[in-house]
Amino acid sequence: MAQEELLLQSLLIPSELRENANAIVRLENTEIEIIAVDKMIYKNKRIVTILNSSADSKHGAYMHYDENTSIKKLEAKIYSQQGKEIKKFRKNDFNDRSAVEGGTLYSDSRVKYLGYTPINYPYTVVFETEVEYRSTAFIPSWQPIEGYHTSSQNVSYNILNTSGIDLKIKASNFEDYNIEKHNENHYSAENLKALKYESYSPPFSDFAPLLKASLIQFNMEGVEGRNTNWNDFGKWMNDKLIQGTQELPQHLIDEVKHLTANAQSNLEKAKIVYQYMQNRTRYISVQVGIGGWKPMLASDVNRLGYGDCKGLTNYTKAMLDELGVETYYTVIYGGRDIRNIDESFSSVQGNHVILCVPDESDYVWLECTSQTVPFAYNANFTDDRDALIITPEGGKIVHTKVYKTEDNLLDTQAAINLDNSGNISAEVISKSYGTQYGQHEGKENFSVKDQILAYKEYWNYINGLDVSEMNYLNDKDSIVFTETVKVSAERYAAKAGNRLLLQPNLFNRIDSAPNRYDERTLPFEVDRGFVDTDRYEIKIPNTLQVEALMNPVSIETKFGTYNASISQISEDTLVYEREFIMHKGNYTKEEYDAFRAFWLDVVKYDKSKIVLKPNS
Amino acid sequence: MKKLIVIAVLFLAQTITAQNYKFGKVSEEELLEKSHPDYPEAVAAILYSKKQVSFQYYQGRGFVQNNEVHQRIKIYTKEGFDYATKMISLYQGESSSSREEVKGLKAYTYNLEGGKIVKDKLTKSGIFDEETSKYRSTTKFTMPNIKEGCIIEFEYIVQSPFTSIDDVTFQQLIPIKRMELKVSTPEYYKYSKILNPRASFVPTIEETTERGQITLTSKARAVSQRVVSKTINSTRTIDYKANVIMSTMDNIPPLKDENYVDNLSNYQAKLILELEEIAWPDEPIKYLSTSWEKVTKTIYDDSDFGDQLKKNNYYEDDLNALLSGVPETDLPQRAAIVFNHVKSKVKWNDYYGYTSEQGVAKAYKQGTGNSGDINLMLTSMLRYAGLDANPVLVSTKSNGIPLIPTRSGFNYVITAVSLDDSTILLDATRKFTTANILPTNSLNWLGRLIKEDGSSGWVDLIPKITSNESVSLNVKLSSDLSASGKVRHQFTNYQAKNIRNRFDNYNNEEIIKSLEKDKGEIDITELELEHMYDINEAVSESYSYVLNNAMEDIGGNLYVTPLLFLASKENPFKEDVRSYPIDFVYPIADKYMVNVMIPEGYTVESLPESVKYQFNGADGEFTYLSKLNGNFIQFSVSLDLNKTLILPEEYQQFKEFYQLMIEKQTEQVVLKKI
Repeated sequence: MAQEELLLQSLLIPSELRENANAIVRLENTEIEIIAVDKMIYKNKRIVTILNSSADSKHGAYMHYDENTSIKKLEAKIYSQQGKEIKKFRKNDFNDRSAVEGGTLYSDSRVKYLGYTPINYPYTVVFETEVEYRSTAFIPSWQPIEGYHTSSQNVSYNILNTSGIDLKIKASNFEDYNIEKHNENHYSAENLKALKYESYSPPFSDFAPLLKASLIQFNMEGVEGRNTNWNDFGKWMNDKLIQGTQELPQHLIDEVKHLTANAQSNLEKAKIVYQYMQNRTRYISVQVGIGGWKPMLASDVNRLGYGDCKGLTNYTKAMLDELGVETYYTVIYGGRDIRNIDESFSSVQGNHVILCVPDESDYVWLECTSQTVPFAYNANFTDDRDALIITPEGGKIVHTKVYKTEDNLLDTQAAINLDNSGNISAEVISKSYGTQYGQHEGKENFSVKDQILAYKEYWNYINGLDVSEMNYLNDKDSIVFTETVKVSAERYAAKAGNRLLLQPNLFNRIDSAPNRYDERTLPFEVDRGFVDTDRYEIKIPNTLQVEALMNPVSIETKFGTYNASISQISEDTLVYEREFIMHKGNYTKEEYDAFRAFWLDVVKYDKSKIVLKPNS
Repeated sequence: MKKLIVIAVLFLAQTITAQNYKFGKVSEEELLEKSHPDYPEAVAAILYSKKQVSFQYYQGRGFVQNNEVHQRIKIYTKEGFDYATKMISLYQGESSSSREEVKGLKAYTYNLEGGKIVKDKLTKSGIFDEETSKYRSTTKFTMPNIKEGCIIEFEYIVQSPFTSIDDVTFQQLIPIKRMELKVSTPEYYKYSKILNPRASFVPTIEETTERGQITLTSKARAVSQRVVSKTINSTRTIDYKANVIMSTMDNIPPLKDENYVDNLSNYQAKLILELEEIAWPDEPIKYLSTSWEKVTKTIYDDSDFGDQLKKNNYYEDDLNALLSGVPETDLPQRAAIVFNHVKSKVKWNDYYGYTSEQGVAKAYKQGTGNSGDINLMLTSMLRYAGLDANPVLVSTKSNGIPLIPTRSGFNYVITAVSLDDSTILLDATRKFTTANILPTNSLNWLGRLIKEDGSSGWVDLIPKITSNESVSLNVKLSSDLSASGKVRHQFTNYQAKNIRNRFDNYNNEEIIKSLEKDKGEIDITELELEHMYDINEAVSESYSYVLNNAMEDIGGNLYVTPLLFLASKENPFKEDVRSYPIDFVYPIADKYMVNVMIPEGYTVESLPESVKYQFNGADGEFTYLSKLNGNFIQFSVSLDLNKTLILPEEYQQFKEFYQLMIEKQTEQVVLKKI
């Protein structure tokens, strides 16, 4: 008790824990008692000192609940810097609201949270909770370091399993941190320093310590499940969550059969059905009860014309089943960051569902929540990661499509006219492929005004840019987006005395490099490679002549390559060519300086100038 | 004669396109329409919108407000699918008599399938009631079978026990083909009304009257001296006059959206109604909002406002101690002590409001409060300390500009103190506010100052004091193309507040990272920040830098931009035209003094010329002076922006002014070998 009193005082925090920290977890004891397949008690006590306003939410004093969860205890006390109690919150003093996340229309999940306005910094929050769950499918995991800029003084995690059901535990990245193992289910750690965010860092969970736990038999919102490995977990999903949801009305079956009557292959059938689904549905997310994991009936999706990722995927799958095309319901982590379903540890994982279509030795992945994405395109959101496919025989981990460096191409060609006041007019044609397709094609659906603004932002270094004409060609079969844009700008080439300075890289300029760190602490990664190629033909008026051109540049590094050159192919025509390749890769912190130096070179050469002077 | 023909033609055109707006009478023609004829970019359009507000009398409950909504919406593209989901926000008071309810919700989706109109009904599975917060619930629904080209139609009634009528909006982000409005209010409630004068679309409204009836059933006991009693049931009706506002309009243009708009709804065509008096028969008239004077008085008489200013026992002891020894004549000093005391003692809980949420005494004890708690307490304490202090009612930018005398037109309160013939505005809710430096959200046009005797008057909230940034930059150029030197920035007033907000919570390393961002190959050291938390002083920021590749060597000549990493390179004003003003909030004066040392072995080949650009006379002025002085080149660059609101008609000129200024900053000095 005396020791705990010390923790309430903000003055006595070891200085090493303050370094890079906005909050310090002084103490956290998590105790989980698994009593039966449908009874789990979670007890948590935490003491957190918050040093400044950017960390106000780090007290962690909130609790999600639904009808299968009962909150037995919820209490928070606030202490001043000197350790004096300022305020006390009982269960009824907590705010209560619906826990709907962005993009979800309705959810029965709710959250009780602490609404406290700090009076002074630092302050300390003691939070205690006890919750009884009927679901044992989601055993809270343990992150001894909770996130960036948060250090941990004294934290522990213990599971008491009296249910008689086998418990699986997996600890990752423990070896680099001072974490003590008391027994298989009991761990503690002291004085874990705060980590600071650095650009190009891998996802936090890739290097920070994390412990996951799961039961081999569990209860999910009233449905019992099995989970000794991915195979039987997947079998359970198939039997209990998916089967029986796929019945379709006969007229629909007849219609898709008719539509695909002339299709030559399974893939062609899948494409027809996918586009059919895209044209008659939209994404609406409603999460109620087991509905958070069980797809809504395919017949309901058909009737209502909407569903969430599970519903739309399952609906597409149901139609393809009727055509005899084999497909797999696939659980995955969706997001720009690449995050795997853990192959070596089966448990309830993932936040998204897509459809997998086996195609000979490969797989094709269908994102069913978008009404516009091309068939088999899954870049930037579900690419290059381990996912769980559900087959009738069971679950299996497979890797989704990797978009290789050379596939992610942006090719920009331009014909530019310069006049002797430095004004330019140009026609720019750019084609984007692979991951870069996804970064460009959205423009097509903007209003004309927003399209123009998008180009003005994209080429924001050209002041006074005027965009006069835009044409798009979105080839969804070969997945290429072509933009043809006419632009002009006054005084693009700057005057310096009687000379004109022209930056020949007009339409694809890198203008900033990654941050500098005196001492990089984390490894880094480039998660997707890409290639940019450029060729610009610049016509200069006969009143001007070239005084100086830039020398050709060629840089080769382990991270990528850069080539740029300009040549005069006739008296009035200059040709600028550029190729910039960035490879995908994982690197050590020691390599960061070289990585940054490469970018700095690109920034430097991208703004190279040539000098034109009047013909005298 | 000519005129007649035009009318005839118009009439003809109308009859041809006449639609049946009865619920359920969706036509094939409407379903076939591929895009809006006048606004082809519209993702959806409201084909028909009917809104009827009326009051119905229920014995025992009094008048209940019925808000009937009927809308038919055409969805043209996938981007318009969002219009198939509707959310109705309802107020939920503590008792059942203070709850709003949705009644009679009925909705269908219409599609054309194989030449036939197919309709799908909204069923329970598509309707969701959510308890959103303590005081709000939301009824949400999403329509079935939404496809490009479909039409949705819904109707419902929101029943409300309150007299306040929501603003009637005539304009949305999508066009409206036809709108019909009727607002009928019993004569006992008198509403003032105004159409938003800032909207470019002006709706036409007519006013008329109609009859209303109240039916009362009463059980009366007839009592005479000898007969015991008998019960008589009687029904009585009372006729009353209802005031009616009507409007029927076709082809309402969509509201344009734009960047840098303080609050789009300030420009939306809408009808605002405010209850100004209640006049029951045989009762004295209750005046609520007939004038600003009256509104202010009503607010002042509210116990959560006026009374809060009068209490002083809760702080008396603390304040006496703090003020002891400070002469009563030293008013500025006393004001500063009070202001700092409130700021350190009570923190803002992020809630707006001009009235006290929990009572000033409780807020003081707890250490937290809403804006009403904090600034009413501040006013009271300042008065206690001998100052002439008064509360000022404010409508924040997000609340919009109040157009007619309304109580709800205000949502915030600050404090005004008169000192030496000048008025100083104070707000103790934020860390970095100080004398006349307020949260920018509250700097909305005019505030209403209320004196102790209840009288009131307007106060201009738009800042007049200039906020400066003064910079001195020393540049030593080296033949290895790098530049190095020292920079010193000084920020005053609002610019100082911005810097404080930006760097608060940052350690030195984080500030350096933040400063190095987007400045090229720079290495910043020896950072010093002065007066970060000394809020009555200018903030000064200084550091040393080394910038690699500051210059470019082309054909043996060196090219350099004298402002180096401090030059603005991009014009933020990219739109070709504007529909709404741009608000800079406060006047700005930025001044850069740059001293460049020429590298050894080089001499100047050309220098950017000195220029001066103006916008609208002296509303904006940019000067650029360059001077060669031996081995040094000196630049003096300044921008003064005295006008804070740039109107749409001035936009073109302003954009060009900005453009020239940015081009000038990127001009290069050319150095050649000696």
